[in-house]
Amino acid sequence: MIEYKDKGTVIHKLNPFCKLAWAGSVLALALIVDHPLFLLLLFLSTLSVVMAAKVWQEWASFIRVALYLCVAIVVVNALVSYHGSHVLVQAPFRIPVMGTPTITLEAMFYGAAMCLRLLAIISAFAILTFTVHPDDMMLSMIKMRLPYKSVLVTSLSTRFVPTLIDDVGRITDAQRSRGLELDEGRLLGRIRGRMSIIIPLLSNSLDRAIQVAEAMESRAFGNGARRTFYKEIRVSAVDGIGLLLALLPFALAIWMRLAGYGGYHYYPTSEGVNLGGLEWAMVVVLILLVSAVVPLAFVKRRVDLD
Amino acid sequence: MINISDFTFYYGGAAGPALRGVNLEIEDGEFVLVTGPSGGGKSSLCRCLNGLIPHFYGGRLTGRVDVQGLNVVEHSTKELATRVGMVFQDPENQLVAMDVEREIAFGLENLGFPRDVISKRMEESLDTLGISGLRHRPVRELSGGEKQKVAIASVLALHPAVLVLDEPTSELDPKGAEEVVSVVERLNDELGITVVLVEHRLDRVVHLVDRVIVLDKGMVSADGHPRDVLDRREVAEAGVGVPPVIRLVQRLRDRGLSIDSTPLTVKEGRSMLDGVFRDGRRSAPSRGERPKGKPVIEMDHLWHVYPQDTTALKDVSLTICEGEFAAVMGRNASGKTTLVKHVNGLLKPTKGRLRVAGIDPQRATIAELARRVGFVFQNPNDHLFADTVEEEIAFTARNLGYRGREVALRVDEMLERFDLKDCRRQYPRFLSGGEKQRVALASVLVVHPQVLILDEPTRGMEQRLKSELMAFLNEYRESGNTVILVSHDVETVVEHADRVILLSEGRIVVDGDKRSVLSRALLFSPQINRLVQGFDKYGVPGDILSVDEALMLLE
Repeated sequence: MIEYKDKGTVIHKLNPFCKLAWAGSVLALALIVDHPLFLLLLFLSTLSVVMAAKVWQEWASFIRVALYLCVAIVVVNALVSYHGSHVLVQAPFRIPVMGTPTITLEAMFYGAAMCLRLLAIISAFAILTFTVHPDDMMLSMIKMRLPYKSVLVTSLSTRFVPTLIDDVGRITDAQRSRGLELDEGRLLGRIRGRMSIIIPLLSNSLDRAIQVAEAMESRAFGNGARRTFYKEIRVSAVDGIGLLLALLPFALAIWMRLAGYGGYHYYPTSEGVNLGGLEWAMVVVLILLVSAVVPLAFVKRRVDLD
Repeated sequence: MINISDFTFYYGGAAGPALRGVNLEIEDGEFVLVTGPSGGGKSSLCRCLNGLIPHFYGGRLTGRVDVQGLNVVEHSTKELATRVGMVFQDPENQLVAMDVEREIAFGLENLGFPRDVISKRMEESLDTLGISGLRHRPVRELSGGEKQKVAIASVLALHPAVLVLDEPTSELDPKGAEEVVSVVERLNDELGITVVLVEHRLDRVVHLVDRVIVLDKGMVSADGHPRDVLDRREVAEAGVGVPPVIRLVQRLRDRGLSIDSTPLTVKEGRSMLDGVFRDGRRSAPSRGERPKGKPVIEMDHLWHVYPQDTTALKDVSLTICEGEFAAVMGRNASGKTTLVKHVNGLLKPTKGRLRVAGIDPQRATIAELARRVGFVFQNPNDHLFADTVEEEIAFTARNLGYRGREVALRVDEMLERFDLKDCRRQYPRFLSGGEKQRVALASVLVVHPQVLILDEPTRGMEQRLKSELMAFLNEYRESGNTVILVSHDVETVVEHADRVILLSEGRIVVDGDKRSVLSRALLFSPQINRLVQGFDKYGVPGDILSVDEALMLLE
């Protein structure tokens, strides 16, 4: 089962707000900068954090899913986008409105660049998922003024994911013991077969939900009094610097785009991927800032220990 | 103090009352055991003590309930939370946080306590329950007993005067149950907390409580000191599982022996029955050895390693024959379920050979095996999904290749045999617990398998349903079929099985006649066996296991 586990690395110990801000920055950078070289570097820079947090295995489970998506993106984009100038294959017929189906080098390149964008984002969020304790995530959300009840529902659903997985296992075993063959027979039979698992699962979950509500009510949930929180996320001076450092690349990237750098034209003919001297410098600064979270985490631990 | 007067309650939409004219007074510091058949109103009684009835479960009510001077109709469950702590049956469904500390803080946070008070109360609760070692552990990794202790700690932190526990041990293994009961006993004894405990397994608790209340059909049918209540015949007839020592004493009295008191523990039983065993005429109980049939399950040096690299079975060799009734016992995670899942092909051995009813499960599909091996899981809710009982039973038959009239005939046969004709068109999940169990059983037996496996079927089950189920199993086995029971329930095993296979850490530790395995075992011995062990000196054979055997011995 892939889930959060406190591995005690410097990244795990880092203030959750810093990690949230960092992941937010990566997300923003991936979306506002178009240049493929930059997207590649951005993705690679998240790897240093994965390494420092020692969450390779967990991270890989996310990336594996993302790779399937990537294949789909490249294929679909190549099939539906006919804007490129380097034609690789052309269909001998025309589709009304869409034109003649054509696979171009540019469309494939664009698809690949979008994959880098997706990978960078997923990588950042995988790091977030596997290095922030779910309850800390909840606390951070509440500190950011999200309503407590909605946050609690989210956190409860993560709490019950493993339970649900156990349920599925047990029910599937029970139905297979009654001769259910999941991947045999006609479509209708298969759907009916799945229902024999889904119905008990849903009904059991409903019963469970009522029991959980009952137990929460018995412990004064929804009391009306102002709720307090036992655990607190303190933001120290170092954390404050970290937070600023994490948001800095975001601000910088906006300025950079407004000043006309970091853009890229994929169609009709892709430009060379080389960057100008000034642009290179900017990209390097951005990537360094994104990667700065790792040395920052080490500094924070030093400060905490002193 | 708890004061219930003329309290009647109907759940919304229910035709009959769940509680009917209940009058009870429970003093501060009392330890009260509530028992009775399922559907008798035990849970409803618990719910009205902290206002879940009528605030969470709406309905019609008359009469009143006052807890610590507060009327539960006028005061909400949340207000009552600091007076009444409630612990539920399934530990999985009452823990909401990811780790133990946050779990304990949850109630205090809801009530708006400042952080320093929360820290202090948390330390207290952790220490009182003796679980401070668990404080940073994720809830998910705890055992059932540990989870239940966390649940108790989390309500204890609110400093309640009353602790209400609704079948807190029925999802636990014997060791976990023992731990929870002893913790509750200490809370009552040392902190003076009033305890209302609902429990089916009376032998565990009956010597600890001040008072037993039996609820049947929503009414208090017996109320008093455990010695008096459990001595009454109508209590056993209502479906309460009276501990074996008490049953033995009752039966001896029927024979005209005079035993003035009722023993609540094995020790008391020994001193009361000392004379009986010393002077009584004894005859050796006859032990009809069953002739063994042909082997139906053969395991040869079986190993199973799970993908996470845990070795669940180590070099298991085993032969089970036609007509045998075998019990598989052992601690949690000792490999019991892993072992039986090999028999119907749900798991394949990592190493070793296996034959079931003449076929090799490694080559056959589960569906092919399902005609020969039936598997009933602990919770019938995991089986039931169809719109009617009929369809539920027919599903298995159709899956296994029966068609048309053959299906209808077999379904009718099952409905007849399991006394389900009246509810053939009802929605199975809305039936009572006992009926659900019967539907689940019927849906497996409809294809007449030669081997039937049941995984902890009696867990959390009341006595009457247990006896009913066991009667079906015995009947089934009489016709030459094999029953394999995975169970923690020693008393049931002693009464019905004839062979016991004891597992520990994936290995078979002992395998043999129940007499040799269960007598003189420390943890696994049934009550009667522990009793007669004290009479070794009078030449009483040490392998007597059940009430009937003890009676036969004393003639």
